[in-house]
Amino acid sequence: MTPLLALNLSASYGGKSPVLSGLSLEIGRGEILGLVGESGCGKSTLALAILRLLPVKNAYVEGSIEFNGRDLMLLSEGEMRRVRGKEIGLVLQSPMSALNPALRVGAQLEEAWRVHQRGTKDARKRDLVSALANARLPHAEEFFRRYPAQLSVGQAQRVLIAMAMLHHPALLICDEPTSSLDLVTQSDIVELFRELKTKLATSILFISHDLLSVANLCQRIAVMKDGAIVECRSTKDLFFDPQHPYTQQLLRALPAVPRFAAKAAAANS
Amino acid sequence: MKYARTVAALLLSTLVLACVFRDQLTPVGYDHQDRNIPNAFRSRQHLLGTDALGRDRLARVLEGTRVSLVLAPSAAAISTVLAILIAGTAALAGGWVERLTASGIDLFLSLPWLFLLVTVRALLPLNVSPMTSAVITFSVLGCLGWAGAARLLSAQLSWLRSRDFILLARASGCGGFRLLRRHLLPNLMPLVYAQFWISIPTFILAEANLGILGLGVSEPLPSWGSLLRELDSFSVFGWNLWQLVPLALLIAVVSCFHLLISKGEIAA
Amino acid sequence: MKTTASFLLLWISTLLTGASLSAQSANELRFSIHSFPKTFDPVLVDDDASETIRYLTGGVLIRINRESQRLEPELATGWKLSRDGRTITFTLRDGLRFSDGTGFGVADVAYTMNHLMDADLHSPTGDAFRVGEGKIAVKVLTANQVAITFPAAVVGLERLFDQVAIMSQSSPRKEMAVLGPYMVDEAKPGAVIVLKRNPNYWKVDSAGHHLPYISAIRLDVQPNRDLELIRFLRGEIHFINSLDAEYFEKVKAENPAAARNAGTSLDSEQMWFNQVPTAPLPAYKKIWFGSKSFRRAVSEAINRNDLARVVFRGHAQPAIGPFSPANQFWFNTALRPHPYDPTSARARLAAEGFYWRDGALYDSSGNRVEFSVVTNAGNRYREQMATLIQQDLSDVGIKLNVVTLDFPSLIERITRSFNYEACLLGLVNVDLDPNSEMNVWLSSAENHQWNPRQTSPATDWEADIDRLMRAQASSLDDRRRKQLFDQVQAIVWDQEPFLYLVNKDALAAIRPELHNVQPVVFRPQVYWNIEWLTLNAVVATRQ
Repeated sequence: MTPLLALNLSASYGGKSPVLSGLSLEIGRGEILGLVGESGCGKSTLALAILRLLPVKNAYVEGSIEFNGRDLMLLSEGEMRRVRGKEIGLVLQSPMSALNPALRVGAQLEEAWRVHQRGTKDARKRDLVSALANARLPHAEEFFRRYPAQLSVGQAQRVLIAMAMLHHPALLICDEPTSSLDLVTQSDIVELFRELKTKLATSILFISHDLLSVANLCQRIAVMKDGAIVECRSTKDLFFDPQHPYTQQLLRALPAVPRFAAKAAAANS
Repeated sequence: MKYARTVAALLLSTLVLACVFRDQLTPVGYDHQDRNIPNAFRSRQHLLGTDALGRDRLARVLEGTRVSLVLAPSAAAISTVLAILIAGTAALAGGWVERLTASGIDLFLSLPWLFLLVTVRALLPLNVSPMTSAVITFSVLGCLGWAGAARLLSAQLSWLRSRDFILLARASGCGGFRLLRRHLLPNLMPLVYAQFWISIPTFILAEANLGILGLGVSEPLPSWGSLLRELDSFSVFGWNLWQLVPLALLIAVVSCFHLLISKGEIAA
Repeated sequence: MKTTASFLLLWISTLLTGASLSAQSANELRFSIHSFPKTFDPVLVDDDASETIRYLTGGVLIRINRESQRLEPELATGWKLSRDGRTITFTLRDGLRFSDGTGFGVADVAYTMNHLMDADLHSPTGDAFRVGEGKIAVKVLTANQVAITFPAAVVGLERLFDQVAIMSQSSPRKEMAVLGPYMVDEAKPGAVIVLKRNPNYWKVDSAGHHLPYISAIRLDVQPNRDLELIRFLRGEIHFINSLDAEYFEKVKAENPAAARNAGTSLDSEQMWFNQVPTAPLPAYKKIWFGSKSFRRAVSEAINRNDLARVVFRGHAQPAIGPFSPANQFWFNTALRPHPYDPTSARARLAAEGFYWRDGALYDSSGNRVEFSVVTNAGNRYREQMATLIQQDLSDVGIKLNVVTLDFPSLIERITRSFNYEACLLGLVNVDLDPNSEMNVWLSSAENHQWNPRQTSPATDWEADIDRLMRAQASSLDDRRRKQLFDQVQAIVWDQEPFLYLVNKDALAAIRPELHNVQPVVFRPQVYWNIEWLTLNAVVATRQ
């Protein structure tokens, strides 16, 4: 079976040294792939590169992004717009700044719906309600009327997840979705992703600098350093038999107790 | 401050009411020439006296106020919309388009706009009714007055554009003018409102300037500009105090607008 | 903007002049000029300020008496014009001296004429003498007689010598050696010129006193008319040569004796319709404007008395034709004022097939009669006249749109693109002779405003005017010329290519300290008899 996404990318900002240098990665259908690496190694760049949003940030990208049987690099901007949000969803790190402060929750969701769907008010309402339910959010009128500033951070992140999942994309890219959350909320959100994967069969690229939560959620983990993947193996293999010195370094940095948890998680999968 | 704003709002609304009911307040129309009493002092018939052609000054002040108060906001609306479209297109397109627009705006701001206005006005057709000429004058003002607002909006837009929620909107498949309308504009509105309100008195003054040069709204329709021309010879002696009324009104209205705007900005 | 600026200037000037009013010599005349003279060379004069200096300092062979409008001998005691009109012979006054002491004689006249006609100098004064090809010949006949021969006859030759200030052949400082009543004493560029009495001036009064009476003249450069008026009212200057109606009223309110109306001037305000065949106008409008009945009807619908009374506060007269009655010799006294008669106007229009519906006028093809009149922005009198005319015409159902344009755009429209319908402008008349108007009346002329530069006359009456104007220009007999030009005036009165509106009065403000003043309607209105003016011993002090 062909992977959902297979890419090989190089990218650089404004003629400087490359941020991504010949990076290759594959994600299978229904798979949650973790991507770990230290801050500034190009993880977020990769997320934007897949959606071809890097030109907005004046970056130059080359390579191929095989997704669902076609190369996204060859699509026109108009065709690409239909892929974004519809086939590939994105969740960003900081929920408060990722929501439009001038729009009510309901308006933002409606807008995200309208970009790719046409239909009656009822159909829209049904989709929004089910998306909110999937993200375990209340779908009361009062909630729709709130402004982002009136939400808790956890709620905001759920709204973003609901928005990203609105059109049931085949792939969800999560760029550090939990790193700005407190521990309890973090585990809630991780739990939510697991649920989504099971319920909606969505593939997830889970980008994080936090090896633990990644290990908790993913079957496979890719380790990234200096714009390239240095090691990509199943979670179990990675934890028990790290090959690359950098992976070993990462693992050594983990506190002792969670290592058991990680091992347990790996054993479960 | 709050007291001052209330007074400002009251004054403006009184003025608007007076303009609406001007026919009831004045015995004759603004263009009626009573050639036997030019430059008359105030009397029961003519509360503010008459102008050089024997026309009731109160009627002319009210009509001029109406013209300025209706058309200046329209001109402000035109220039604000233009500013949004131009700044918005530049911000969406980015790259060389944005740089080109930025230098275009700078160039436009550095143009001698009064000269430009006079030239543009000279190119317009001659046979238009006074009301049309008023509309044209203000439209031209509106069409030429966008650059300042565009520069401010551009700066705000380029800041907004780098924000996460715009990135996310793009990642949801939103783009082009939809992005501008649904995502950028709602965040721009406070600034847009402020620009709109600020440019109203600017246009009133711009028209007054043109009018003083004799290039504003054409006779017999009055505007504040043409009313202020009466003051041309004010420096010499023997003037009629009531000639000052349009000037006082102009200052009052512009100050009222500024008071109300300062409130608007605090609210935003 | 302008208003504020003049406010500011007003206050500043109040501060400055308050301090600068120092003791001034008792016998000094003071008035303002509006710019600093461009030249002191009498041959090169082309602006008002330079003309003022030339008038006050220059000695001429023949002077036009500004009051009687007749020629008077000055440096020449007599002159004789040859039959063919090409040669003029002057007999010079004996024993005169230039201000620098050098003697005056035939050589100086010869030198001046040759200098004046020097093609390289491009003298504006000399241009008036230039007729036909070839050079002038100056021949000294005797010690005090000189004959000047032109290549062709110059019509109205004697009058032109009013502009020719004689220069000294021998003096090393040409501009400073003068024969007029005054000489330049001091000139601060941009600020002030002081003239002092020419000690060698030849005129004496009946009691044997040397003229002029006033020993010095101080000319302040003051471009701002408001400030000029204020300085006058404060007694800092003695007169204002030419005032507009509004300022005149203000002087009158302050000091009735100071406001002096010299009567109707030569300047006219007029309106005309565009009759250029190639003008970018609808065909039916060209038909209106080309119709004598239409022009006459519009003319009769205009209340010229109201224009004079309301706009000019009564200091103007309804105009009759190209020359106002102030031009005593050339004005055609047979002409009556244009009547204000809306009934007759309606009758004329009805006869042409125009009709009214709901008070609005339509032509026989059903076009609403509406046209625009352009005038220059910033001239309040013209704008007010246009507004009154707008009302007058609406009374006969015509819709008039008043359009004010900046001057360059206006000129572009009326001289090049011809994209206008009617125009309201004024004409400043400086010359009394109809020859100076050849460039207006000939159909081929540049300033034939309603249809300039025609290759052949478009109408019979324009052909008639061409013929008459050429005939008067080639005659040397003034009586004959007058007859011909009377006919031109009659045709113009009847056809009304120009709708003459008003002739403004020549208005001046003169302080009571200044005596012997007889203001006249043309330049230099107040000081034309400068050598006879006197000042009270008591000089005006600041009030």
